[in-house]
Amino acid sequence: MKNTLRQVFHSPKFVIGFVIFAGLLLTTIIYPLIVTTDPLEMVGNGNFFKPGTYVSVKDAVEGSRYTLNIDAKASSIGSKISAEDKEAMKEWLTKFGGVAEADIDLEDVEGLIGLWEANYSEGADQPGLTASKKKYYVRLNNNIDGILSDNDVIIARENPETGELEESASIGSKEYVNTKDVANRRTFILGTDNFGRDVLTELVDATKTSLRVGLIAGMIATLIGLFLGLISGYVGGVVDDIIMFVTNMFTVIPSFVLLILISYSVGQNARGVNLVGIIIGITSWTWTTRSVRSQVISLRNRDHVNLSKLSGHSMMRIVLTDILPYLASYVVMAFILQISSGILAEAQLSMLGLGPSSSTTATLGLMMNWATAYAAPLNGSWWAYFPVVITIALIAFSLNLMNTGLDQVFNPQLRD
Amino acid sequence: MKSRTKRLVALFATLAMTASLLAGCGGGSEPATNDAPATTDDAAAADDAATDDAATTDDAATTDDAATDDTASAGDTNSTPRNETLYFAGQQWGTINDWNPFSTNSNNAMCIQQKDSSRTLIYETLFMFNLLDGQLYPLLATDWSWDDDTLTAMTVKMNPDAHWSDGSALTANDVAYTWDCNVKYESSLGLDFSNYVESMTATDDTTLAIKCKLDDAGNPANPLKVQQVLQQMFVMQKAYLETVEERNGSDKDAVKLDKMEDLVASGPYMPFFDDDQKVVFIRDENYWGQAASMWGKLPAPKYIAHVIYADNNAGQVALEAGDVDVCQQFTTDVQKLWEEKNLPITTYIDEPPYGQCATMPSCWMNVEKPGLDQVEVRKAIAMATDYDQIIASAMSNQSPTFKDVPRSTMNPTDGEQALYDHDAVKDLQFAGNDIDGANALLDEAGIVDTDGDGIREYNGTPLSFKAECPDGWTDWMASLEIVAASAKNIGIDIQTFFPDTNTFYDDITTGNFEICMNSPSGASITNPWGRCMQFLSSQYADLSVNWSGNWGKYRNDEADEILAKIPLETDQATLKEYYTRLNEIYLTDVPNFALMYRPELFYIVNESVWTGYPMKDDGSNIPPTDCTDGYGIAALYNLTLVE
Repeated sequence: MKNTLRQVFHSPKFVIGFVIFAGLLLTTIIYPLIVTTDPLEMVGNGNFFKPGTYVSVKDAVEGSRYTLNIDAKASSIGSKISAEDKEAMKEWLTKFGGVAEADIDLEDVEGLIGLWEANYSEGADQPGLTASKKKYYVRLNNNIDGILSDNDVIIARENPETGELEESASIGSKEYVNTKDVANRRTFILGTDNFGRDVLTELVDATKTSLRVGLIAGMIATLIGLFLGLISGYVGGVVDDIIMFVTNMFTVIPSFVLLILISYSVGQNARGVNLVGIIIGITSWTWTTRSVRSQVISLRNRDHVNLSKLSGHSMMRIVLTDILPYLASYVVMAFILQISSGILAEAQLSMLGLGPSSSTTATLGLMMNWATAYAAPLNGSWWAYFPVVITIALIAFSLNLMNTGLDQVFNPQLRD
Repeated sequence: MKSRTKRLVALFATLAMTASLLAGCGGGSEPATNDAPATTDDAAAADDAATDDAATTDDAATTDDAATDDTASAGDTNSTPRNETLYFAGQQWGTINDWNPFSTNSNNAMCIQQKDSSRTLIYETLFMFNLLDGQLYPLLATDWSWDDDTLTAMTVKMNPDAHWSDGSALTANDVAYTWDCNVKYESSLGLDFSNYVESMTATDDTTLAIKCKLDDAGNPANPLKVQQVLQQMFVMQKAYLETVEERNGSDKDAVKLDKMEDLVASGPYMPFFDDDQKVVFIRDENYWGQAASMWGKLPAPKYIAHVIYADNNAGQVALEAGDVDVCQQFTTDVQKLWEEKNLPITTYIDEPPYGQCATMPSCWMNVEKPGLDQVEVRKAIAMATDYDQIIASAMSNQSPTFKDVPRSTMNPTDGEQALYDHDAVKDLQFAGNDIDGANALLDEAGIVDTDGDGIREYNGTPLSFKAECPDGWTDWMASLEIVAASAKNIGIDIQTFFPDTNTFYDDITTGNFEICMNSPSGASITNPWGRCMQFLSSQYADLSVNWSGNWGKYRNDEADEILAKIPLETDQATLKEYYTRLNEIYLTDVPNFALMYRPELFYIVNESVWTGYPMKDDGSNIPPTDCTDGYGIAALYNLTLVE
């Protein structure tokens, strides 16, 4: 046993796969200890907030301020007006503002803004301009309104008695806050999803769920497959015929179709994580049965098995002590593949809306499902689906690597 | 070596381009080459027709020629010139199955929509409803009036200019015969309105007399519903209907199943081409509406086309690419299309809620289920629900918040909002996400968690409910998820359930549900009365198969009494009193609660080809109903090509 383990851990493929898998597993265990917020808490009031640190504006305004000698005006003008905006402003001014083209210098931003503020009017007659363009100019105008002035921004509070606004602070253009001073802040490393949930926290939780589904499904599929394969191969005869008949039938029906049908008939109400795992397990055992059976058939006429039979050992004992150990390496490998396909099956099911309910659990498939439903790929909200895809890929990749590694160790034909 | 690589690259590029061309044309024969010259020629023509009114007279003279030319030369129906075609998305989701307004299972969304704002591209109604001001605008008819104060009979004057696509005159006889057929063949419209309309008869060619059904006391059953039929019923040609009857042996089911592909209609467009890829209508150059008494010109786009997209995402991609002009789809973060992607796309309003909301999808609770029969449980669920989250995330801010427009039976249009006393029901309002308040309410009512599993029990049974809406209606699904998440905080277990649409409608029409999400009717001449009926009337609760409203089977005698009085009441002050009382009941008993406001149609327009779409505050008073519904169709006459 020790020797086998040593052999196994000498296989670089297995080690890489194992490290990735262990890493994922550890993350799902350790991360929730550090970040204790509810993974399903809807923090963001809106769809797909981008990754970053969010600080409380109120805290920032009220907290201690530092004066830095950095000219904020130039860069804030730059951030508010793009080259396209400047072109568009020029176009409007020459077409509707009555400004000669020669008078406009695109390099001189302040001059351009000055001309704009002097000539632009929202209500001007703008023949030939589309509604979207008109609205664009209104937005642009609001955006640069007052950008040139050096006036401070005034923070005012409403007096509860008189209802009047009273100035409580004013903010100049050189005043800064240190984000560390802001008490209320929250970092979303991977942004938020369509419900406003923290994607990273949800992803870790979902990975845990998916691994659980995979383990349950893998275990059930392997156990059923192993049990039927052993009986069918060892007993033979009519029992073999019946089992193989059933197995062949299940092999011919695409298991995913079966999976969809069963999940659908169970109904969303009852579909918890465990049940989904069980459903996947009972639809994906057929290939294990076939392989185990063929191996058992080749084993059952070996000398040591015959010897056991002659010694009068019970069938149970023969199967468990004389046959099963020879299959163990294969079964472990099959189990790993079953986990991997179980996780993928869950993701596929949830993508179709046939997985567990999303108000109670997070799974990788559900995350993908909602991200697509809310058009995250079209909106450029990569954080809502890309990390999920990567995680699914990593799980499947690591398990397959481990499987290949084991195969190389156990399969004499593949040994160096 | 280098030149060989170049040649290889060139060859490869050519192959790739050819392949993509073929793919792009959907395997159509003689692709792109035919298009190019046609486009430039037609551009000038369309430009003239659209911008220059005088051109219509020229057009009219040559219409016959033009029409025949078109059908002959346009052998390739698969492509219509881009700058003569107005493309839609989000209406038609499958191959069209018929053109029959009597049909009970028609999926022909672009042609057959008989509702409060009927879609009058092909078939037309007597009047067009404008949801902005709640008024009826003349279409086939010019005027209507009650004969006297008893509101038992109505006279409708027809537009004498109206004629059919085959050139024959459209008269009051056609209207009367259409009504008779609707009743005779039991179309859903006929079944509904025959409770209120006794008969329609033609006094002469241009005068139609409508008699109301009377109740036992001799009062009209419901004058509001009689007005509604004016905006809803498609008028069909008597001669054509007789042909249809004859070929189906006047059999009720056969008539309803007739495909009517050879239809005769009066609208500005006629069917041109349809398959499983798209549906195209072509302008009827002989359309009666170009008479001065109606529009005075033809609608600007010569073709109306709707590509059948696989799903919302496919439609959105096409919208962003400029392949769709008017998009009736829920779009997440719609403002990003112009703010971040800088596309020439816009909506009715430039800021949230972006559209004109006219209805409020609500959560209906089946009051016959134990637990939900308790007012406290219903109210607690409503109080706990986080509406801000629903509006911001599920609805992507495309709804006013309940802070802006407090909850009531009224939709957020000014006309309806003015119909009840806001202050009188102020104390009954609930803000949402009030977990403490909801918990206290339940505790006080003695509905507590006795077995410590985190779920409250009522009479020993845990409060566990199934909330359903159709699968694929993402904003509704997300809303119910948020309702479920909120309910978890007050010890009520709500499981979401998303069956296919048919199962869903089976469930709600037969009362086989616990909680469901559904929309009451939007803007209509009968509303807010009709909507109050849907919220509160026990008349619907008694139906065995209920498509009408009050799916939760709530009963309240006082509400029934008031609801019966409203249609006969014309005094505004009394009406306001009635509606205020109804709202008190609605907010006290919470038979259902609105989750959000929603436009009847989403309206996102891409201005890369066409412009001149109705926008809020542009002074046109044309509702944003996708240029197709009710008075919204007036927009088609204002469209111009982008310079």
